[in-house]
Amino acid sequence: MISPALLFLLVVGTIPLVSLIVMGLWRIDLIGFKPDAYIGFENYASMAGDDRFWESVRIMVIYTGSSVFLQLVIGLALALALFRPMRGQAILRIALLLPMILAPVAVGLTWRTLILTPDYGILDAALQVIGIGPSPWLTDPTWALVSVIMIHTWQWTPFAFLVFTASLHAMPSDPFEAAMIDGADAWQRFRDITLPLLRPAIVVVIILRTMIALRAFDAIYSATGGGPGTATEILNLYAYRVSFTSLDLGYGAALGTVLLLITAVISIVVFRFRQSHG
Amino acid sequence: MNTFARYKSSIVNFVTYTLLLLAILIWSVPIIWVIVTSLKPRKLIFNDPPSLFFLPTLNHYIDALKTGGIVDSIVNSLIISVFSTALAMLVATPAAYAYARLRFRMRTPLTFYTLLMQMAPPMGLLIPFYFGLSKIDLLDTYIGLITIYLTITIPFSVWLMMTYFADIPFELEEAAVIDGASRFQAFFWIIMPLARGGIAVTTIFAFINAWNDFLYAVVLSGPRTQPATVAIFSFLAAEESRWGPFTATAVMIMGPVVVIALFAQKHIVQGLSLGGVKG
Repeated sequence: MISPALLFLLVVGTIPLVSLIVMGLWRIDLIGFKPDAYIGFENYASMAGDDRFWESVRIMVIYTGSSVFLQLVIGLALALALFRPMRGQAILRIALLLPMILAPVAVGLTWRTLILTPDYGILDAALQVIGIGPSPWLTDPTWALVSVIMIHTWQWTPFAFLVFTASLHAMPSDPFEAAMIDGADAWQRFRDITLPLLRPAIVVVIILRTMIALRAFDAIYSATGGGPGTATEILNLYAYRVSFTSLDLGYGAALGTVLLLITAVISIVVFRFRQSHG
Repeated sequence: MNTFARYKSSIVNFVTYTLLLLAILIWSVPIIWVIVTSLKPRKLIFNDPPSLFFLPTLNHYIDALKTGGIVDSIVNSLIISVFSTALAMLVATPAAYAYARLRFRMRTPLTFYTLLMQMAPPMGLLIPFYFGLSKIDLLDTYIGLITIYLTITIPFSVWLMMTYFADIPFELEEAAVIDGASRFQAFFWIIMPLARGGIAVTTIFAFINAWNDFLYAVVLSGPRTQPATVAIFSFLAAEESRWGPFTATAVMIMGPVVVIALFAQKHIVQGLSLGGVKG
């Protein structure tokens, strides 16, 4: 029963992955004048000396680290603060749902135009009311990186919120009652009961969100295109530009292989985690 | 309750409701603003500060639909998403059942393999896809694109449906088999109806993932098969930024997904927590 699916994945999944690794050992330059040739690890050797590669790794780490951290903290804080019967929860649920399932391209383009354009974007206009700006959201390198992190955080904090809320709902009430009787204050209850019980949910959020942040493309591409210059060019975008703008498929494939390795390591962690936690 | 406690609890109430309102605003205003702008007369779009009150117009929608290629691109999006979803469900449903139920050799490594396929970075796959499709002349064709999209929809559908099949009690099939049903009959008549919810969630997510995709589309499609997520860029070229038709098109791209979300809210929350969206 699995054979059709496996057969398909083998042909259209595994063969490409193997070819990716093989292509990384070749020179395949579609606009160069040199013919395709097997060059061994030369692509990797040039990668080691490629400043733009290291810069893209650095930006990827900043982007992934800070957006996952922000999603975690904001998501957890909101989930804890709003974990009580309140009117308006249903509206919040819908409001939080949409950013996650709408096309990231539409989201990125919307932020680039309607929200962050100096003077005409609503965020910029709103900040001007309290005397901040106009700000170079997408035109200054530092601001641009902050902006794409903000967009990603906006789009994915709802995920952390939903996971934490579900986890809070599933918590047993006995330990809290026992702690109340023993006279533990709110902070002690949070630190010694809530937080340890939330641990699996926190791990899930960190792992899944890291995977997604590492492969972020659509929203960054549509908001900044990786720029200005290379200010928001995470490894994923660098591999894209090398492969499909410079048409240097061999080097692009080597960069893709590095991405694949990072992903594979995280997949193993995810799998172990799923196996041990059902 | 003494006065102080009542005072304190009303402050807490006020703070949490403010927070709730703030959260709703932060996450809904950008989307509402797209809809508002798409209905705004052109003269008012570039008002500083942004104008809130105006007579709504559908001109931008007419404008967008008249722009060469937009209607075609929406049709392309539909063709590609519908086919890649339907085919994925056809292949993934039995596969997910087998993973969840049957004990066979290599089950664990094959499960891991499916997961890895779901986790594989799209950029890593795109490079050989582009190379391969150009070699066999399938760039910018429906067959090429649908096949490639199946690599998104199949592994994810298998992974998601597995959890639903695993939740159905084993005894139900056993009873059916004891009563003389074949394994296939048991699957078709007992399990499938029970897994209806899971199948619905998976179908929804397979469709959303295909509908929203941009990365594969921007490289592997072309003038003949370009989906709406790529075509929408034409309104925001460097020399002129046409916010009106851009927002109208964005609403048309978001529309189907919003409608699905409103009708299947619970399912979507469930699917998301199982890793339903590729990001």
